[in-house]
Amino acid sequence: MSQSSENHDVFENLRLELRRGCLSLAVLSQLRTERYGYTLRKALAEQGLEIDEGTLYPLLRRLESQGLLTSVWREEEKRNKRFYRLSPEGKQMLKQLGTEWQKINASLNGIL
Amino acid sequence: MELIGRYLQAIEFWLPKRQKQDIIAELSEDLHSQVEEKEAELGRKLNDGEVEAILKRCGSPLVVASRYRPQQYLIGPTLFPIYLFALAVLTAGCVIPRFLIWLGFLLIDPAHRGYLHMENMGSTVFYFASLTTLAFAIGERTGAKFDWLADYWNPRKLPPLRNPNQIPRSNSLFEIAGLTLLNVWLISVLWPRPVIDFYNAKISIAPTWKIIFWSLLSITVVDLCISVVNFFRPFWTRLRSALSLLMDSLGAAIFCWSLRSHLVAGIAVPGLSSAKADALTNWINAIMANTFWYAVAVSVVILAFNLRRYTVRFRDRQLHASGTQAQVL
Repeated sequence: MSQSSENHDVFENLRLELRRGCLSLAVLSQLRTERYGYTLRKALAEQGLEIDEGTLYPLLRRLESQGLLTSVWREEEKRNKRFYRLSPEGKQMLKQLGTEWQKINASLNGIL
Repeated sequence: MELIGRYLQAIEFWLPKRQKQDIIAELSEDLHSQVEEKEAELGRKLNDGEVEAILKRCGSPLVVASRYRPQQYLIGPTLFPIYLFALAVLTAGCVIPRFLIWLGFLLIDPAHRGYLHMENMGSTVFYFASLTTLAFAIGERTGAKFDWLADYWNPRKLPPLRNPNQIPRSNSLFEIAGLTLLNVWLISVLWPRPVIDFYNAKISIAPTWKIIFWSLLSITVVDLCISVVNFFRPFWTRLRSALSLLMDSLGAAIFCWSLRSHLVAGIAVPGLSSAKADALTNWINAIMANTFWYAVAVSVVILAFNLRRYTVRFRDRQLHASGTQAQVL
């Protein structure tokens, strides 16, 4: 494996690690209004945060099992879709995480 | 759309039972939404190649399904280093004694090697390794998290800092005692003379012994001097370390050479016929000659180990600077 390819792999791993923590926050913030998976993906992509279905749906399930989201199956445009939105605990968590994010962001801006 | 059905079916196979239906319904909805959007964009139905491209981008069924499962492992990261250590110790404990016994039988009487099947060693190691793995996997699964490893440790109870340049005085003392005894034994029992009295047996020694004896004695005397210096100055220096390595190498070479030198020229025991005495002489010389390659192999391993220790000692000189301060011969 060449040096540049190795560097690329290291960068890719670090980039994914960096993204992983941010995705939960981004998903929670987008679910202040009710959405189903596909529209949620599109909303995030429009904001510049591409997320594939293999990452999003397991994340939604995890957040729901943690009590931060609620979901409901409903028919729309002749297809059954699962709609998600923030639970009261999720709203609280979003607030806390948002504050934490601002702190980290301010610190990193100072450091970088 | 058949491709999507087949894709979802392949994912379903790997999903947790209770969530299968729910996950597949959600993924199906997402894939169909993607297809619909693309069709609306192109103004026509997608062909198989285009659907395939969408599925390829989603990832292989196994990878997609694995993301819905909790992270699972047979032996977790806390236990894993202990597991590896236990595996190494058990394997060594299983292989080394058996190998030594087998080697002993092979050297003394090759006809008896059948009693110990080295051929079965692989299955024995596999058996031990499997049991060890099983025990650790059960420990992990039953929730033995070994929290005490993380919670009940005390920095003051950790082993003292190792310094590869330091020589424990107990080691030097042990070496001094052992080498003194060896020298006394060499001089009193194996002093070069044509015939050695060993209880009632008179053993005639080949003239080569004289060279071997003085070489071995010189080496053991130098080793003894190094050990005495080590006792009073318990830090390795390059000179002492290199000298010790040189003596080990010379000792090993001379010992191996002696095995093929037919050192026993004859044996005379009262009541033993000359034919039997000759046979006994030949047998002893043959056994010594047979051990030659084994001795070479063991010597090479020991010397390689010593050489590694030598390089490790002086590789991190700066790190262990205190160990080498003004400690000269």
